[in-house]
Amino acid sequence: MRSLLNFLLRFKTLILFLILEAVALVMISSSHNYHQYVTFGAARTVSGFFAERLENGRSYFRLKQVNQQLVTENQILRRQIEEMRLLPQSEFVTVTDTVKGSGYSYLSATVINNSVNKQKNFITLDRGSRHGVTTGMGVASAEGIAGVIVGVSRNYSVAMSLLNTDFRLSASIARNDYFGSLAWDGNNYRFAQLSEIPHHVAVTPGDTIVSSGYSAIFPEGLVIGTLTGDQKKGGDFVTLKVELSADFKKLTNVYIISNLSRDERDTIEAEVVHE
Amino acid sequence: MNRGLNYITSFVGLMLLQLLIFNNIQLSGYVNPYIYVMFILILPLNIPSWILLLLSFMTGFVVDLFSGTFGVHTFATVMAGFARPWVLSLSVALEASDPGSSPSSHIGGRRWFIIYTMTVVLVHHLSLFYVEVFSFTGFFRTLLRVMFSTVVTTFFIFIFDLLRPRK
Repeated sequence: MRSLLNFLLRFKTLILFLILEAVALVMISSSHNYHQYVTFGAARTVSGFFAERLENGRSYFRLKQVNQQLVTENQILRRQIEEMRLLPQSEFVTVTDTVKGSGYSYLSATVINNSVNKQKNFITLDRGSRHGVTTGMGVASAEGIAGVIVGVSRNYSVAMSLLNTDFRLSASIARNDYFGSLAWDGNNYRFAQLSEIPHHVAVTPGDTIVSSGYSAIFPEGLVIGTLTGDQKKGGDFVTLKVELSADFKKLTNVYIISNLSRDERDTIEAEVVHE
Repeated sequence: MNRGLNYITSFVGLMLLQLLIFNNIQLSGYVNPYIYVMFILILPLNIPSWILLLLSFMTGFVVDLFSGTFGVHTFATVMAGFARPWVLSLSVALEASDPGSSPSSHIGGRRWFIIYTMTVVLVHHLSLFYVEVFSFTGFFRTLLRVMFSTVVTTFFIFIFDLLRPRK
């Protein structure tokens, strides 16, 4: 017994080191399931407080750029309104149909914290549960899709950025509707990868990649980026390189997108799949 | 107690610097300076190793809390705290100095301090970046990130150390 104690005492530093590292490893492995980021609500409230103050100061330097983006977005929206007004009067009676039709609501939000230099990047927004934000809502800027909400506290929410190696989104090529899985490989913040595209599909550099609508988080047709033309072959599928339309280093104003029929859709999809 | 207060101030100060300024320095995705490691570097020479390890753990944990990573920084700081005594034992320059003092270029000389800093920071950044990626797929790219970040972190720690008051 005594020699055991002596042994332990001699190696106390090493033993303590191993215990602490084991604790750290447990923490790391427990957080690899991304749903558990929600447990950081308390920390997020504090860091959100500071981040918001800091962002208030920094946003003044970006006013010109933000104004420019808003002007461009206004132009696009006005054009769309015009196009809709010019549609010929239909002979069908207008029915207020809440099943098909927009079905998505948009909440504007400001980015108060963001990173692009880590493998797993997150975006903090200044909207939280008291604004109606829940996990699973999509986040997109006027330029393109940015991420998905994974954690919400009262005043702030955290979204998993598209620039996160855990991020997956069902995306399709706008021109021919072939869909694949969009992910980020951790290398360049301007490019993501669209995989599972069959290699017989003809693709042209410049093709727009949009959300396919299959994930119920984003409406279909939201822009993600454009194809660069680079592709990697792997068996029956190719992986295409996508230049992201959103510049994540300049992310400021975004929209939190809520699918009004999401619960219904999730329920029926779960029922059918688990039958 | 005055010394203790000094350390607490440096801890808080370094944390704030890290979180408000350095976390937002994103140069080309390869350079991620983590200057809070300085806290582990400047703890007294004669600190018992178990206190050193616990303080390293605490440092990493606090950074984890604010960065939203859970355990990644903790793992790296404990690794750095474990390596520190070993690196210190290799250096001859400190034999003559007061054991309760804090490692600094004012005591051991600039060249020694840079080597000491770079080594511990290297251990820390190696652990940090590889655990963050958690795989060997991006081996060389991560290695590059480690190298660049180590150099930049060491540079900033060296500058901060020069600014410390000469005892």
